[in-house]
Amino acid sequence: MTDATSTTVRPAAPAARRALWPGRAGHGFVAAYAVLLVAFGVVPTVYAIYFAFTNAGNTFSGLSNFTAAASDFRFVPAIEHIALYLVFWLVSLVVFVVALSLVLHRLAARPLSRILRFVYYIPGALAGAASVMVWLFMLDPAVSPAGFLLRALGYDTFAQVIAPGHLPILLTIIAFWTGAGGWIVVMYGALNNIPHDVLEAARIDGAGAWQIALRIQIPLLRKWIVYMAILAFAGGTQLFVEPQLLSQASNGVAGRDYSLNQLSYDFAFQNNNVNTAAAISVELLVIGLVVASVFVARSGFFDAD
Amino acid sequence: MPTDLRRPPAPAHLREPGRRPAATARRRRRLPNPLAAILLLFFLLFFVVPVLWLILAATKTDDQLISSNPLSFGSFHALRANWDALTGYQGDTVFLWLRNSALYAFLALVITLAVAVPAGYALAMTEFRGRRTLLIATLVVMLMPSATLVVPLFLEINAVHLIGSMWSIILPYSFYPFGVFLTYIYFSTALPRDLLDAARLDGCSEFGVFRRVALPLAAPVTALVGFFSFVANWTNYFLPYVLLPQSDQFPVQVGLGTLLDNVPQFNPTAGTAAVERPELALATLLAITPVLVVFLFSQRFLVSGMLAGATKE
Amino acid sequence: MTRKIREHAERRARALRGRILSAALGGALVLAAASACGNGGGGGTVTDGFTQAAQTGGTLTVWVDSDRLPAAQLYQKEHPSVKMNIVTFDGDANGSNYLQTKVGLFNRTGKGWPDVVFSSQNNEASWAVPEGFAAPLNKGLIPSSTLSGWATNANEPCTVNGTLYCLRNDLAQTVLWYNATLMRQWGYNLPTTWQQYEQLGKEVASAHPGYYVGSAGDNFTPEIFMWASQCGANQITAPKAVTIDATSSNCSRMASVLDTLLADGTMSKSSVFSSDFDKNVASKILMLPGPAWYGGALFQSTFKAPAGQISAAAMPQWPGESPSVGNVGGGTWILSAHSTNIKAATDFLTWVTTSDDYQGKLAPGYPAYGPAAKTWLANQVASKYYTGDISSVLETAANEVWPGWGYPQFSQEAIWAAAVLPGMNSGKTITSLLPAWQTQAADYAQADGYQVTQK
Repeated sequence: MTDATSTTVRPAAPAARRALWPGRAGHGFVAAYAVLLVAFGVVPTVYAIYFAFTNAGNTFSGLSNFTAAASDFRFVPAIEHIALYLVFWLVSLVVFVVALSLVLHRLAARPLSRILRFVYYIPGALAGAASVMVWLFMLDPAVSPAGFLLRALGYDTFAQVIAPGHLPILLTIIAFWTGAGGWIVVMYGALNNIPHDVLEAARIDGAGAWQIALRIQIPLLRKWIVYMAILAFAGGTQLFVEPQLLSQASNGVAGRDYSLNQLSYDFAFQNNNVNTAAAISVELLVIGLVVASVFVARSGFFDAD
Repeated sequence: MPTDLRRPPAPAHLREPGRRPAATARRRRRLPNPLAAILLLFFLLFFVVPVLWLILAATKTDDQLISSNPLSFGSFHALRANWDALTGYQGDTVFLWLRNSALYAFLALVITLAVAVPAGYALAMTEFRGRRTLLIATLVVMLMPSATLVVPLFLEINAVHLIGSMWSIILPYSFYPFGVFLTYIYFSTALPRDLLDAARLDGCSEFGVFRRVALPLAAPVTALVGFFSFVANWTNYFLPYVLLPQSDQFPVQVGLGTLLDNVPQFNPTAGTAAVERPELALATLLAITPVLVVFLFSQRFLVSGMLAGATKE
Repeated sequence: MTRKIREHAERRARALRGRILSAALGGALVLAAASACGNGGGGGTVTDGFTQAAQTGGTLTVWVDSDRLPAAQLYQKEHPSVKMNIVTFDGDANGSNYLQTKVGLFNRTGKGWPDVVFSSQNNEASWAVPEGFAAPLNKGLIPSSTLSGWATNANEPCTVNGTLYCLRNDLAQTVLWYNATLMRQWGYNLPTTWQQYEQLGKEVASAHPGYYVGSAGDNFTPEIFMWASQCGANQITAPKAVTIDATSSNCSRMASVLDTLLADGTMSKSSVFSSDFDKNVASKILMLPGPAWYGGALFQSTFKAPAGQISAAAMPQWPGESPSVGNVGGGTWILSAHSTNIKAATDFLTWVTTSDDYQGKLAPGYPAYGPAAKTWLANQVASKYYTGDISSVLETAANEVWPGWGYPQFSQEAIWAAAVLPGMNSGKTITSLLPAWQTQAADYAQADGYQVTQK
């Protein structure tokens, strides 16, 4: 690593930081993965892109699928929903995951840290269908453990809690509940990779907890935070599980056709219109790629480092 | 083998013998920042209370679920009744589901690890033609929404006559780009190149370098990828839902969906096959227990830091 | 030297990239070819009104949900020589479109369809017929003498241009459920018109506040009230054409009744399945207009109302109009047009919809087949749970379901849930939300490819 905080001064390193060799060893290592990548990643993706530019009769149809998707009455509202949700989701995930990881890492009592990490993770096992019932009850002021809180906010029935205006917050809460624990584990492990002498040196220099976090730990977590942000952004734009869950729990009152990905599923499996569904998927892919490439370029994600 | 980097390194300790130990000890024993404590406590409640509710829900009858205090304990009698009802559902089907889940997740896990760890290593530490292409392709594929991938995947699996076989699930599961990126980041940030160079200088072949140097140090990321892969496969709903034709092949996630569809509150046409909500809660707890057990076992490995200072310059 | 290696590497990388891309495209083209071949129609013979696949016999594949599993198992027990493969799935319940998804995939690969399928939805014909999955049943497969045994208009959801494509499993005709004990105690007469119903609600609001005469909080509320009022919000005029008139007088008269009762608190805003209803409303029900399955699923199983209290009467009507009731649900059985075992499939289909052994004695819902319904009703009476004569009420109502409410591909329940319920819960009147209902229904219909006529 060539960060300025490195305490050892390395001699001038060779220009090529990786071992270059004409042999096939690198290929050997990735061969199996490349096969799986092509079989289950690239081929379906290319086929889906092919769907997006053709119609049901397998003839080239230009951008007509894209215009068909964009002119659907649910398209623009879905974009608005996702934009709002992304703000809540990205901010809360990045801020709280990093904060909790840092705090847990500083915790002197190791067993407590381990227990808390486990407890924070437990909801991550409750993905999808398993948590429909949980949220149906958590959000119902009549039967929820947090009922006093909901009633204090003025909601007396489940239907009032899931009013359309509340959905961005509700969906963020559900997504954070299941998703944060895993990322906390990852970040915590990443924090453990920071050499201790670096932190000690900073402490000797009189840096407080805040400064150590801001000046040392977070910059060294850069790659992990970028990875988390990319996936959180993509996951946010491809929001599906949480509104689907709410829709099931509320029998269709909230969360149906809320996100673009749900719209894509509706096109694919309700209208048997894989082409328009693929058009929406391609749009989501392009957005994800643009943002990812911005992140990757600015943080040198793919570099040898 | 790796030095425990949580303790201050020896030279620093000797530098100021009088002050350092006491200062360190004082720092360790200082009370945590109250803000930090509040943060931890708030999120503890946030994450734990719904799970606690779920556990207690399994001990209640359906009436108690509605009318009694949400965090009250029901009765062992009701728990027993729920257990009997759950195992009686279509004759022990819940255990069949669990067995299927375990089989799919474990087999896919083995393949994933065998594939992802070497791949991440090579992508991070070696240069070869197509390295960037692979990384970019992995990222692109990871970002592709899955709605439209189902149809091509189905056609692909049908083309190799795997529809109906458990490999139609296990092979797609084994493709785990998230895991490959995890190993890529891990190796590129935590494995010192000097170690590898040293081993190469000693005359090791590339595979020898991998096997002797990188692999032993890769325990944390192997555990990490293995764990996440296991959980992703265990909780995957849509792929088995669409690809598996026989109901006795369903993993437990799809099984939970089936149970959910028999709860009268979600599906009024459920007559004699009605599943009560506490029974569903118990089924959910059964479904998540393996994941939590695996997490407990692998926690130690998941977060242990890799040595970064093993090479003394 | 390193630069040369790097250039070399870049050139090779580009070549490799090209190679990966062409591999991918090649793979995709192979898939495209495979799927195109998969659909090649083998020439079959046209019998009984459709092109039948080669009848090779073999195992009879039946898809049922877990509630109909006893039916398939009973059939296997009574016909041990028939080789059956029974698969349970979600029955398309709760908004799932599993059947349509799988049939779409099977259509692409050209194999895998089940022989007989149960669906808890009654609008499957809207896609199963255009996609060539459902086999016509009244063109020779099933004799018309059998088909005439179904309740009036029960098979409407299955009929497209005069051809019958599925068979109705059970009915969900709406009746007026009521608490006979309370009615007698308070000396009320059963309302026969909607005005009387509204009036009774107002009296209950003042004399017995806290008691309810109905619930409007479900997504199937329009199927209970609007359907019974002959509201023209869902008129399917052709397989892909719909006329939507949600603001007409037939609709607004019912909406105003509901609004009056919502305002004075005798009509609940919560879904009958919500915890809120269970806690606060279930024990205070005086009357509850609803489908036939309210009796078993709701009063008996969920609310656990004591025996001898609940009875049913005919739905109130608008004076001077022919009696009409609504309908909430009712499943259908579909026979696959691709079946290679049509004889066995038809036998199973006929048995499962008409036999007394299953429909009369085991079925959880009111059978759509008349003679089996008689047996079913006799069982209900024998259980002595209800008081009064609910048999004749249910039987009469079974033939009074208004045929003007169609079964389109889009879900009216989902539309009402999203367009009306949130507004109703935040205090708006249903009358003011009728235009929103109209707009949403038209939007969804158009998105599903329907030609929409709005009035």
